[in-house]
Amino acid sequence: MDKLLRDKKAIFIFLAPALILFTVVLFIPICQSVYYSFCEYKGLTAPKFIGLTNYKNLLKDKSMVFALKNSLFFLVFSCISQLIMGLFLAALLTNIKKGRNLFKNIIYLPCVLSSTALGLLWMFIFSPKLGINQALEKFGIEGPLWLMDTSGFIILPMWIIAFVALWQYVGQSMMLYMAQISGISTSLYEASYIDGCNRAKSFIHITLPLIKPMVATAMSLNAIGALKFFDLIFNMTEGGPNHRTEVLATHLYTQGFKYNKYGYASAIGVVLIVLCLVVTGLINKFIKTENYEM
Amino acid sequence: MKDKTRSTLIKTLIYVFLTLVAVIYIVPLLWVFMVSFKTNAEIFASPFSLPESFNLENYEFAWTAGKLGIATLNSFIVCGVTLVFSMLIGSMAAFAIGRLRFRFAKQSMMFFMLGMMIPVHCVMIPLFTRFARLGLSNSLLGIILPYLTFSLPTTIFIMTGFFQSMPNELIESACIDGASIYEIFFKIALPLSRTGLFVTGLMTFVANWNELLLAMVFISDDAKKTLPVSLSKFVGPYNTNYSQMFAAIIIAIIPTVVVYCIFSNQIVDGLTAGAVKG
Amino acid sequence: MKKKLLAVILSAAMTAALLAGCGSSAQDTPGTSAGDEGGASADSGEVQEITWMFWDDLNATEDLISKGYAETVERFNADYEGQYHVTVITTNLEEYYPKLNALVASGETPDVFIVSPGPNLTDYVEPGVAAPLDDYLADGWKDTFTSDAVFSQMTYDGKIYAVPLNIAAACAFYNTEMFEAAGVEVPTTWDEMLDACQKLQDAGYTPISISAGTAWCLSMVAGYLCEMEGVDLAALEDGSASWEDGKVESAAAKLVELSQYFQKTAAGDTNDVATANFYNEEAAILIQGSWAIAQINGSNPDFESKCGVFQFPGVERVIAKSDSLAMSSSTKYPEACVAFMKYFTDDTAQKYTAEIGGKIPVTSVEYDASAAPAQLAYVMDVFGGAKGTFGFYNESMPSTEAGAYFDDQMVAVFLGDMTPAEAATEMETFYTDNCR
Repeated sequence: MDKLLRDKKAIFIFLAPALILFTVVLFIPICQSVYYSFCEYKGLTAPKFIGLTNYKNLLKDKSMVFALKNSLFFLVFSCISQLIMGLFLAALLTNIKKGRNLFKNIIYLPCVLSSTALGLLWMFIFSPKLGINQALEKFGIEGPLWLMDTSGFIILPMWIIAFVALWQYVGQSMMLYMAQISGISTSLYEASYIDGCNRAKSFIHITLPLIKPMVATAMSLNAIGALKFFDLIFNMTEGGPNHRTEVLATHLYTQGFKYNKYGYASAIGVVLIVLCLVVTGLINKFIKTENYEM
Repeated sequence: MKDKTRSTLIKTLIYVFLTLVAVIYIVPLLWVFMVSFKTNAEIFASPFSLPESFNLENYEFAWTAGKLGIATLNSFIVCGVTLVFSMLIGSMAAFAIGRLRFRFAKQSMMFFMLGMMIPVHCVMIPLFTRFARLGLSNSLLGIILPYLTFSLPTTIFIMTGFFQSMPNELIESACIDGASIYEIFFKIALPLSRTGLFVTGLMTFVANWNELLLAMVFISDDAKKTLPVSLSKFVGPYNTNYSQMFAAIIIAIIPTVVVYCIFSNQIVDGLTAGAVKG
Repeated sequence: MKKKLLAVILSAAMTAALLAGCGSSAQDTPGTSAGDEGGASADSGEVQEITWMFWDDLNATEDLISKGYAETVERFNADYEGQYHVTVITTNLEEYYPKLNALVASGETPDVFIVSPGPNLTDYVEPGVAAPLDDYLADGWKDTFTSDAVFSQMTYDGKIYAVPLNIAAACAFYNTEMFEAAGVEVPTTWDEMLDACQKLQDAGYTPISISAGTAWCLSMVAGYLCEMEGVDLAALEDGSASWEDGKVESAAAKLVELSQYFQKTAAGDTNDVATANFYNEEAAILIQGSWAIAQINGSNPDFESKCGVFQFPGVERVIAKSDSLAMSSSTKYPEACVAFMKYFTDDTAQKYTAEIGGKIPVTSVEYDASAAPAQLAYVMDVFGGAKGTFGFYNESMPSTEAGAYFDDQMVAVFLGDMTPAEAATEMETFYTDNCR
């Protein structure tokens, strides 16, 4: 058994295709990108090495402050909200029989739709002239400027976008948790009922510990997704007004593709990758994935 | 008896809550559907009313002018090929990391995880210049390769979890029966992790189906454009052709919903299979 | 064991080869491939294939100017059948420059490409991606244009790098019925403008429809207000003037003053919505580029007769913008490219520009004014009566980023996030750090 699992040739065959693709398509370009982050590079002329200047400029960049703040807010919000809502919905759905698939499908639906289209849709809904403000007006309420309000530490548009993101992606977490929960042997639950546990108790004592690995997985996915978050913001606010809803990925796009500052954009990319590494490292450290035998 | 009324009450509450959630999900999507029948002037004048008539002009125009037929075909080719290979290559790597024993398992995992963190914008220019030199720009293969690579980390990540949580006894008994490692992978590990495969397959398919930027930059030829690129045709330089764009969006959504239904049934089967297993 | 060794060596070799490829790739950049120019065009009999890159889809578009370009392309391909052929690469505007840059970086620069004058064009002129066109213009082509001034934004060190196709002017469109009902005359000075807005408001109308959600729309008005205050962009760029000399501050203050007459939802409305407000007769004045004419008349045909145009009051020049074509310096077939570009400025295309597209032609073509939208004549009057033109503010600054920065500051002032003085200071800091 052990010998079989240590077969070097098999390991190579299993890993090689993925490793080669990865190295060629991702790793080498990203190395180039890291090199560009030390260059002044406009994309149209050869990159010129300028040392740490791009990184020094990052420290002075006001939009970068907004972008970092918003990205971190987004990270925390989506990790927590997706965990709670995802688990909650998964627990509800695994506990009902009738309509389980219907509800699951409905909640998962936005995940399969293009976020560009959904971004446009929500932009319409929150636009003052076309959207819900018109409906609110009928009740005599003057709705706020959903996507343009700039007061407060975390401004209103960021909350809106965060909730839309939760709306769109919670189905994914829910699905992952459901897959894991349904893998738990029913005999464990039966045993717990005999021991006098009710459903809530068995959820806490059996389900939660057993899906811990999936919590780590889903949360890491969420965290990385949140840090790389781009589509919805780009389509709903484009980072505006005045860069207040900028996140790292949109800032990167604006600097690189709108202003042609690839070198600088690469530096933002490096910050983004480092942040992802740190966060996933932390998640995996705090949610230790002991393997339970199921 | 008291217990029973309580549990019915809880059940009712659950259903009420879920129905509310469902409404929040359905209403905005219904709205898109409605808008797709309107004219642009109608959208701005009364965005929430029912369309004046349910004519299919927007759809006809979107389909012909946007060349959505060929775009749908291209999207299917690109996403289908990517899907098959990402599931195969990804779960192979995941199996090695999750089940086989070698020194650099953790490091390889980190290496693949890195791929998930890389924003596509960062690698686009270096990737494009390289692909152009290899003659891969303006070809479907040129976007299949990056799509495949970008799909791998998630696949590997999730599948590793599934392989790790697989009972040891199964592999042990297969070993004793004299199965080779390849047989164990294809005949035991893969079928048992079907749920995981379908979840990742769905995620891969959807992500690639909706990807715009890379496809936009890599493909110039009208006959090779994918659906999201064709959808963007309705955004003009000074004004956007909303009604036809929403019609095109609906057209583009239909295949994903179909694919989703296929996969989601499989996921359900996988779930029940999992339950039986226990 | 042998097999394993082989595999390791193979993969190592592959990686090395790839890394080597990586190292070299940084070297070859555009412009260097310009060497093989001309040589290939000699072999006659072959159809010369060129590409043109454009920022709107030619089939799916509703934009009348884009539709005109589609006709031009067809005409060219039909007339030169067997000799030249052009293939069009389209994207939407959002992804246009990223894609163009990627093509340039990989040495696949399209032979002809559309580009906005200003910093965008500069990006392609400076590294030598765009070719100077003087030699081709000298054969009388240049004389067909209305004046040499149309080339002013495309000239670098005395050489012309792009050809304009049409001109759009930013004007104030107004609803004549509302003006009459409120008893308002067309304003010619700033005070009259404020007065007119006040009267319109008193009569129960929304005076101005504008979009701050689409930053450049608001910034266009800000540009006019800066012009009114005598802001000199060139002096600001070379450092002989300061943003903090009070001119920009008072322009921004005027913007705030004017903003009390904007529609309630101005802060969140996009460009499309703001224009729709105007043609749906919910507001009296729309300050927009003349490209909006086609959109207005197309969406509400009854409105054409009620729509008047006046020059933004209190300024003598008008803001003008042109689409222009540049040619790749690495094209194999410059003759084909030039022949193609000439099709955009010939009489048929320019007539279309005026009569159907509703934009100002760049050549002195005779067109049927009665066929053209009614507003075009008014715009022509404004254009003809002006003492000159100036570019969009965000396209007249040293970089795209500077332009966007200006737009953002104006939106911030409008939203009340910033005082006019703070906005001026922000601009000064930005210019000191990035532009001088």
